[in-house]
Amino acid sequence: MLKILQDRTYSLALTIAVAGLIFSSIFPDNFPTFTNFSQVLLNLSIDTIVAVGMMILLISGAFDLSVGSVVAFSGCLAAYLMDFYLLPVPLAVSMALLASLMIGWLNGYLIAYQGINPMIQTLAAMGIVRGMALMLSGSGIQNLPYWFNAISQSKLLGLQMPVWYMILTVALFAFFTHKHIFFRRYYYIGANEKAAELSGIQVKKMKLYAFMLSAALAGMAGILLTSRLGAALPTFGRGMELKVITAVILGGASLQGGMGKISGALLGALFMGLVSNAMVIARISGYWQEIILGCILILAVWIDLFFAKRAIGKST
Amino acid sequence: MLLQLQNISKSFASIPALDRVNLDLQAGEVQAICGENGAGKSTLMNILTGNLQPDSGHIILEGKSVQFRNYQDATQQGISIVYQSFSLIETLSVAENIFINHLPQRWGLIRHTDLKAQTTRLLDKLQIKKISPNTLVSNLAQGQKQMVEIAKALSLNPKILILDEPTASITESETKVLLEIIRELKLQSVGIIYISHRLSEIFEIADRVSVLKDGNYQGTWPLSELSREQLIDRMVGRKLEPSTNQSFVQSEVVLEVKNLTGENFQQINFQLKKGEILALAGLVGSGRTEILRAIYGSIPIFSGEIFLEGKSLTIKHPQDAIQAGLAYVPEDRKRLGIFSEMTIRDNILAVRLDKATSNGLWNPSKAEEIAQEFKEKLRIISSSLAQKAITLSGGNQQKIILAKCLLQNPKVLLVDEPTHGIDIGAKFEIYKLLKKLTEEGMSIVLISSELPEIIAIADRILVIREGQIAGELNARTAQENEIVNLATH
Repeated sequence: MLKILQDRTYSLALTIAVAGLIFSSIFPDNFPTFTNFSQVLLNLSIDTIVAVGMMILLISGAFDLSVGSVVAFSGCLAAYLMDFYLLPVPLAVSMALLASLMIGWLNGYLIAYQGINPMIQTLAAMGIVRGMALMLSGSGIQNLPYWFNAISQSKLLGLQMPVWYMILTVALFAFFTHKHIFFRRYYYIGANEKAAELSGIQVKKMKLYAFMLSAALAGMAGILLTSRLGAALPTFGRGMELKVITAVILGGASLQGGMGKISGALLGALFMGLVSNAMVIARISGYWQEIILGCILILAVWIDLFFAKRAIGKST
Repeated sequence: MLLQLQNISKSFASIPALDRVNLDLQAGEVQAICGENGAGKSTLMNILTGNLQPDSGHIILEGKSVQFRNYQDATQQGISIVYQSFSLIETLSVAENIFINHLPQRWGLIRHTDLKAQTTRLLDKLQIKKISPNTLVSNLAQGQKQMVEIAKALSLNPKILILDEPTASITESETKVLLEIIRELKLQSVGIIYISHRLSEIFEIADRVSVLKDGNYQGTWPLSELSREQLIDRMVGRKLEPSTNQSFVQSEVVLEVKNLTGENFQQINFQLKKGEILALAGLVGSGRTEILRAIYGSIPIFSGEIFLEGKSLTIKHPQDAIQAGLAYVPEDRKRLGIFSEMTIRDNILAVRLDKATSNGLWNPSKAEEIAQEFKEKLRIISSSLAQKAITLSGGNQQKIILAKCLLQNPKVLLVDEPTHGIDIGAKFEIYKLLKKLTEEGMSIVLISSELPEIIAIADRILVIREGQIAGELNARTAQENEIVNLATH
């Protein structure tokens, strides 16, 4: 039992189930309905896609504060190219993704090869990239092509497309981090970077790839968000980096690295989504949502420390 | 009687770590405490310094029964400890580190002139003239840090000073100074508890020795009445077989290094034969570690060539070295060797994850199988393969790292201080294992600071001094003082 509770994916899944049951019994008319659930999933789908990249970064012992800005930049760039240069949708989308990838490459290169601290590098990138999004879109770009909006606004089996993209991303990376040795190496890098290097793992290259992946997923999230709202705004993804890191830590990652599963990123986001949904239904003010989510994060980490202390027997 | 421990017991999660331990320490005495890793030395010291509370038993300090509620409490009552792992803050100055808890002050403001004067006085007393009170600790060498650590403990004017492996990371000459300081403190009637794996030091400095084995108190003896073999016998509880230095050297040259030059070494030339153990001896900082790391590709080479089985190698990263057939056991196991929060299984597979795959995908049960095989082969003692590496003793951690290397099936094994800080039983096991590997045709380059062990196990010894080869000795005929002479000059 103790062992199960120590694995965050199990304990969090259990918490979500219990919370779900409690919310259902308090709000039987509004909470446990298909419409509500699909809305919750839609709301968290874009964050979760970003959280997958963040999870891989945290496993390797790094993090990226610029993802929220990349979300905005990618959407704005695609919209800009379609509106002002009349580029076809696939080309504009590919260019936006490629540009996001370049931002990730630059972050990763400066951090892994030049030794700039990830916190400082991505904090700076967060400002720079946000500024670029503002320059591209001004106060926002509307009237996007029909086919572009269709990316996110169509439905499959009653669920909005972003939900499917999220499921696909989570499933793909959950499979890879569990099964593919390339991704398993990130656990070694996070656990002990120096030992990983001496074990023949190309730590710098791997770190570079992780930042590129995280930025590419953020770029994809930006396209989905823009398409869903039918407009690109430079304010997209403001504060998203912290929200995503919160979800990922709730899902079992640690800032020290070496820990976490992709499913944890989904569960963390799901838990946050359900709690804020329940609070909206209960008409609790938005301020309280932030307070309660903050408290939940502290509580989760605290419980972890409690179990970790119990697990430590004697020190030699 | 300065200090008396009566029937101290302590268990963790119902596993006894100490069982009715007795100890007495006189003022002005140096008492060594010996025991293999896991014998309970650290637990006992933690009880003495208030970090842990005993389950039962009494501590009697100068005739009065006392309790140490916490570290601070023990310090105030006159007990200071110098830990084996450094407790210094790298970004603060020497003076600030030494007086960290009792900075000279007036109205809450630090009096920097007093701080400097007191530190200078203390450092002079310890004959540390080269360190200025304002130097940042991060700028000091390893041995100097250890000295500052001792100064910090002495700044409290303790009645009892505990030294936990004080020489593990300092050089021969620094050790001499340290032993000198200890003699000085004896004269000032400080009681000293000295923990070390190095028996020669114990015989040099201690008056009496107490032995712990598996948490049990074995007894206390004056060292004048004990031989080295008798002491080992009491610690291990079994006779150690005399090392049979067989040689398995074959004629074929496996590794050849020509004119290798790098940051800390110049013009290194040597050949390594199949089945040979070549030892690199020398002082800490002589460049011997850098030579190994350069061959392994983790630090750059300025010039020179490396040949493996006659083929020239270009090694830019450890990955290249591994692919060519080199494996490396680094010094400083905790920092460079193990993945402490990962399981035994994952540690063993770190280099060759690909061995535990089917159709290119990770296969956990295959990984278990491989790890289990090495666990048995190297006699790694643990309850399961899912145990985290950090929970194991130093000897078992070292075996995990060796397992990781052997899984690569290397032609040449580069080993740096494989027995640093591990207990005698495990040391002998590791040396026996290395010997067995050479019998199977592996070649080994070994670095060790323990000269008797080098002589016992190596075939040939290269002595490194200031980044150059100072001489070559045949291990069969070499004497310890010959090596020291070449290394220090």
